Amino acid sequence: MSDSENKEDTVEIYHRVNRLKLKTGAGLHDGPGFIDPHAVVRADTIIQKKQSLYPKMVEESLVRLDESWEQFKAASGDEARREAMERIYHTSNHIKDLASTFQYELMQHFALSLREFAERINLSRKEHLVIVQAHLDVMRVVYQENIKDHGGVKAEELKLIVAKAIEKYS
Amino acid sequence: MSKTAQATQAAAIGNKQKKAYSLSAFRVLIVEDYPFMADLMSTMLREFGVGNIIQASSGNEGREMISLFNSDEGARNKIDIVLMDWLMPDGDGLELLRWIRGHRKDSIRFLPSVLCSAYTSEQVVSVGRDNGANEVLVKPVSAQKLASRLLYVIDKPRPFLRAPGFFGPDRRRRNEAYKGDERRIAKAEDIKQFNERL
Repeated sequence: MSDSENKEDTVEIYHRVNRLKLKTGAGLHDGPGFIDPHAVVRADTIIQKKQSLYPKMVEESLVRLDESWEQFKAASGDEARREAMERIYHTSNHIKDLASTFQYELMQHFALSLREFAERINLSRKEHLVIVQAHLDVMRVVYQENIKDHGGVKAEELKLIVAKAIEKYS
Repeated sequence: MSKTAQATQAAAIGNKQKKAYSLSAFRVLIVEDYPFMADLMSTMLREFGVGNIIQASSGNEGREMISLFNSDEGARNKIDIVLMDWLMPDGDGLELLRWIRGHRKDSIRFLPSVLCSAYTSEQVVSVGRDNGANEVLVKPVSAQKLASRLLYVIDKPRPFLRAPGFFGPDRRRRNEAYKGDERRIAKAEDIKQFNERL
């Protein structure tokens, strides 16, 4: 196929052979097909069974968060601090994905909040560190007390702690 | 009857006239930095019957895998679809997508690519499409969602477009007349069509 990368105004349209369709065993002109719905149900069932692994996986991620946080506090240079914060960002993103997969809404909420804060944190402002610490504290409580949903007195209380920390120290 | 069973039954009735796809010849690359999530995706694909599933833990590793399997245009074991997470250290999904679409080899630049993101805003979906994603899969990933995106990629392939500042699947899903002012700058004679033949 030709390329006109140098001709800036040219528009090229490539009509490709649908190789994926051919690979499924269907003909190019056959109508839409489907994936065995029983296989889809089986896959969802297996995923839901993996929910039993959730506590172990979250615990591991919380430990990684704590380690990165300790490394952040112990770091002497900006580069090391930035790298530790990047690890916090990615680990909180993993917790969010994990929690949302198994409908642990409150953990998902705090993990997302921490990830978003890690994205905009000013590493030279000490007050901002209080906000990170508040997130880590409440996430540990949510895990230990196995709080799943947003509702409930305890959940509201924890959300308030983080909201106040963000409001006061942002 | 449970909701899942009802959905299965409804799908089975709706599928009577359709053909069940065999995905056993497919090779799918999952690029995901969190091993647990990569394994979940892998499990789902295996249940769907996907024959070959490989994993990469970063965008950079994803590039290496794609180069390894797809550099030879004539190879028979090429990667067919890439599922990539958006947020990853060492090369995120968007960077990987740009690399794929910017590649000089047809076997790489036309590679069907699905970007996975937890962001649900329309703007984020647009960013994915503007960078050449075939589909955007919104997290949390469920078997139903994953199957639906795969079917879209297989059944509704869009022609690829090279336009100023863009290369990727046509971002328009429907061929409808545009109601507003004409904003397209390309004239009919500036548009070249390429029809691939087997």
